[in-house]
Amino acid sequence: MVNLDELKKEAKRVLEDGKVKYVIGYVKSKASNMAAPAFVTDPEEIENLIWDPTCVQNLTKFIVDEKKRKAQQKKPDTRPVAVVSKGCDSRAINVLLQEKYIERDDVFILGVACEDLGVIDEKKLAQKLKGKRFGELTFDDKKNVVATTTDGTVKVPVKEVLAERCVECQANTPLIYDVFLGEEDRRKPDAPFASVEKMESLSNKERGAFWQEQLSKCVRCYACRSTCPMCYCDECVVDTINFAVTPDTTAQEKALRIKWIERASTKSENFGYHLVRAIHLVGRCIDCGECERVCPLDIPIRFLNKKLEKTAKELFDYEPGMDTEKPALVASFKDEDPEEFIR
Amino acid sequence: MDKILEKKSLTNWLKKLTGYDVYAPVLKDDLWNYEIISDGDNLELDYLNTVQAPKKFIFPQVENLLDFGSSDEGTPEITETLPQPNPTVILGVRPCDGKAVILQDLVFGGEFTDPYYWNRRNATYLVGLTCNTPPSPNCFCTSVDGSPHSQEGLDILLTDLGTKYFVEALTDKGRKLVSAGQALFKAPTAKDKKDLEQVKTGSEKKIKRQIKNLKKVPPKLKDMFDSPLWDEEAMSCLRCGICTFLCPTCHCFDISDEVTSSLPLKGHRIRTWDTCQFPDFTMHSSGHNPRPDKASRLRQRMLHKFQYFVEIHKKYQCTGCGRCVSLCPVGIDIIEVLDKVRDYG
Repeated sequence: MVNLDELKKEAKRVLEDGKVKYVIGYVKSKASNMAAPAFVTDPEEIENLIWDPTCVQNLTKFIVDEKKRKAQQKKPDTRPVAVVSKGCDSRAINVLLQEKYIERDDVFILGVACEDLGVIDEKKLAQKLKGKRFGELTFDDKKNVVATTTDGTVKVPVKEVLAERCVECQANTPLIYDVFLGEEDRRKPDAPFASVEKMESLSNKERGAFWQEQLSKCVRCYACRSTCPMCYCDECVVDTINFAVTPDTTAQEKALRIKWIERASTKSENFGYHLVRAIHLVGRCIDCGECERVCPLDIPIRFLNKKLEKTAKELFDYEPGMDTEKPALVASFKDEDPEEFIR
Repeated sequence: MDKILEKKSLTNWLKKLTGYDVYAPVLKDDLWNYEIISDGDNLELDYLNTVQAPKKFIFPQVENLLDFGSSDEGTPEITETLPQPNPTVILGVRPCDGKAVILQDLVFGGEFTDPYYWNRRNATYLVGLTCNTPPSPNCFCTSVDGSPHSQEGLDILLTDLGTKYFVEALTDKGRKLVSAGQALFKAPTAKDKKDLEQVKTGSEKKIKRQIKNLKKVPPKLKDMFDSPLWDEEAMSCLRCGICTFLCPTCHCFDISDEVTSSLPLKGHRIRTWDTCQFPDFTMHSSGHNPRPDKASRLRQRMLHKFQYFVEIHKKYQCTGCGRCVSLCPVGIDIIEVLDKVRDYG
């Protein structure tokens, strides 16, 4: 088990030593049962940090944020930021390093092991509680989640309400870190692609109908893109005017800019958006599942990424973020790469 | 006009509403959303709040404003496409969402009335339901001059009294719907009226979250434009559009031309929801962005709702539905932010 006091001690140490600018960790949220990201600069406030299965967010996103913020500052503080990182989140750091988006010195990684657990899926928990409203969530030492509901407390084993991404997790222990907390217990899931295999078993027609229905719900709030540590482009194909404009860009250039995907949240444009995003994540998505968790309309976006992850594994034996020594999937080729799909 | 409708008669009433499209909250994939009700047989008005507010019926995410093209001779042709919607009944509107429609009316009415909005607005009948218990743990309607039994914006307010609904028909449109059900509606007894009062008073007490002394916030905000508070509060913001797209009162939009054919020229001018939380919302064509970071965008959301709107319309532009609080992926909490503003300095 990760010793929370140990985590706080390490976080406080790097902060007090002035080794890092701030610590990105998790705190309890007033608004939600899930944790909230926190940015701690005051060593006294390290006390508020938590570590439990409500720590859902992939904090690697905020390392991307920090890089963008620094780019705007005239004299940025170039010290690293410390970040609490789960196994999946550390894979995202690996991809950023591999793509040379960040340098190793930009980040001080407080790696935390999920061991035999992971993070909980609020919806699974809600179903277990059979519609009872739940207030506070705590965790006992027998790995139960204890929910306070209107009719007293209910205990559910955490394992029964784990997020699907954790059930299929391939990196429950951080792969890269400066400090490591918890037990190194690398479990391999029995069926890492079970969810997507279930989807594959459907006929083309059934899958078509499924996605038609799901993607027509999309309101294009772009939360999936916003939360994704891999979606760091300054210029995104779906944004009509979010391209790099300089004082030299002429009005004509702006007017002639092709709109690949229109603003209207119609089914065809929504398909365009989600498929473009999925394709851009091949060999990069590390399955933190945040895109799916944040979707307010519960579109199961993770299936798209999982399918491509599976394809990359089958065709090229490539697993994103697992080995930084390997070149990135889309930036390399080998003579023996299969090419049956190129026709 | 006050009436009583037995719960078992609800379906029969809906069946009598011929000529109307009737929508009600339906649970699908663990989410409540408004769906068209064909017979209403399995309808139970026992729902949490819908993930999307009924605003989408009156101010849809995509509105076709006009079609354009050119004739064979090359002269431009423009056709206005004002919506002519069927009369639409939205059953089960939470009072916060009903009130939100009134706030939208202020924006799309007044000096410049928006015919696209009003064509839909006038064809929409809002049947509300008192929140006997709060549908979300983050409900805070009572802090923003609302209540779980507010009648504002609604045509009818239903209140669940166990086996029956207390029906308050509040407008001509509401009375029209009630008279379509004729004999199904009975006059309330003195006891019904007493029960109604009791339920209503009780409902207010069950709202857990509140912002104390919110009236201190608007004047305070005036001096906080350059406050470092916004940087702190926006650190975790992901710059997505959840808080604004799902807000029942947010109304910002963008207009763009979507060309469907270049020769001959054909296309639509459409209006789509837009949000101050997207970086390109304020991007100038020069490339300059006056709201360059997420702190300035979070500030805008607060200032618009709790300073500018209050200055112009004397109302908060927030109805306390709690959607932005519950759905924010990183737990940014408008209640907490406003508490900090009030106590700032």
